Amino acid sequence: MTHPAIASGTPADGGSDALVLKVLDGLKKLIFHEIPSARDISLERLSRSAGGLSRENWSLDASWTDANGRHAHRLMLMRDAAGTLLNTERKREFEVLKALERSAVAAPVVHWIDPDGRFLGAPSLVMALMPGSCDYMVLNGSRPLPERLALAHDFLQLLVSIQVVDWRGQGLGESLGVPEDSPAKTELGYWEAEYRRVRLEPHPELDYVLAWLGRTAPQAEAIVLVHGDFKPGNALIEGKNITAKLDWETAHLGDPLEDLGWITNPVRKREHQIPGHWERQQIIEAYSKLTGRKICEADLTWWNVFSCWKLAVIQLTAVGEFVAGRYNRVFHTPSWLFRPMLQMMERAE
Amino acid sequence: MRPTVEEQLHGTCRILESVVAPCVADPFARTILDNLIANLRMMTAALPKVAGFLRYDNDATLRQLLALREALPSELDARINQAMAASEPDVADGPAQEERNQLLRELLAAAVCSPALTPDMRHSIQNYMVNRASRVPMRYVPTVASVNSSTAKR
Repeated sequence: MTHPAIASGTPADGGSDALVLKVLDGLKKLIFHEIPSARDISLERLSRSAGGLSRENWSLDASWTDANGRHAHRLMLMRDAAGTLLNTERKREFEVLKALERSAVAAPVVHWIDPDGRFLGAPSLVMALMPGSCDYMVLNGSRPLPERLALAHDFLQLLVSIQVVDWRGQGLGESLGVPEDSPAKTELGYWEAEYRRVRLEPHPELDYVLAWLGRTAPQAEAIVLVHGDFKPGNALIEGKNITAKLDWETAHLGDPLEDLGWITNPVRKREHQIPGHWERQQIIEAYSKLTGRKICEADLTWWNVFSCWKLAVIQLTAVGEFVAGRYNRVFHTPSWLFRPMLQMMERAE
Repeated sequence: MRPTVEEQLHGTCRILESVVAPCVADPFARTILDNLIANLRMMTAALPKVAGFLRYDNDATLRQLLALREALPSELDARINQAMAASEPDVADGPAQEERNQLLRELLAAAVCSPALTPDMRHSIQNYMVNRASRVPMRYVPTVASVNSSTAKR
């Protein structure tokens, strides 16, 4: 990197030296592209986090000088990895985050996008690094029960806040696409195509469940903004407060029951529920109270089964990417999901 | 043959855990290493069960296919007949067992989507699938970031 506007760039921990230099170099070019008057661009404390199954997550301190003076920001760079669990578009995510800036939903402020990887070598987003830390198991961790229950309610309130985002007013219909058929069928169609694309061998269990999902897909009561992977592990918490909902790459317009089906999914109980205090029934009651919606148990069960099936497809993606030499974690066919899916189907029938 | 495959895998895990892992300071690389070690440990236990599982599964899948025949279209039934007529691969021939398993599971994937299945057939399919899932020897082993786990996402 020889651009005269660049003053310094310090590789830190995380990733190979070549990758670190590539990220620093690309980021400086992106900043200069976005702010042509920027000079003395400094990028410090670049660090790749251990988390992030579908993308590289890098944090850093960035500062530069432009016509308005000196600027300093803590930033988070999310860069598509060579192998990924999710085949998603950064442009959609960028537009969702921009829309959320004008809503009550706690989400990172997004600064820039490199949609085709022209600067960073892979599609990337740069956003503000929000305060707080991430804890997948916060609802069943060491915090006192009242605190965990309050957080559980806050998570549900956050889910509802996402559902009341005025997606039409924010222009999200154009960027995300409005489901033409029932949202259940639209989502199933998308994930079925993914399934057919990524599987390496026959999976009669997943075909059997897919046929059931196709036969019983429900209609939606409304079309809302759906996060698509709503879980404590995709949020930052500081003290007793949720400071940001993260990972919007699977956000789309769909059925209000989709995110609710994800958090009441029995296979993810340990992440989303508190035994004896915040279980499926209590979540449904609290959701109904917050939204005024009456939940159809059969429809919600459909979304529970769909959640498991979608999770299975994501894991098969990881299997395929690992075998192709693009993904560095070993996954297997998710046979542990088969029994709960079949049991829920049997109960629903 | 000593060290046996199992002994070699055990030894590899031990060395990776006690010698290599403590020297890996980078959180991302450490998470990857932990996942690889956990998978090697799983494989060490699973490997001796794979051949037996394939023999069980080929037999159970063929029986399941036969139980569904009345509800299947004639073209699929003919393919099942063909698979039945083929001789069983040698029990010691892993790749041939694997290939037969693939073929039978492909037939089953088509059979379980038949619209003519009766409730009893569906019940037997579900039992077969639950039984099979409980016997599959290879499984994903979840691992958490071992360094700075509270802020792993960041």
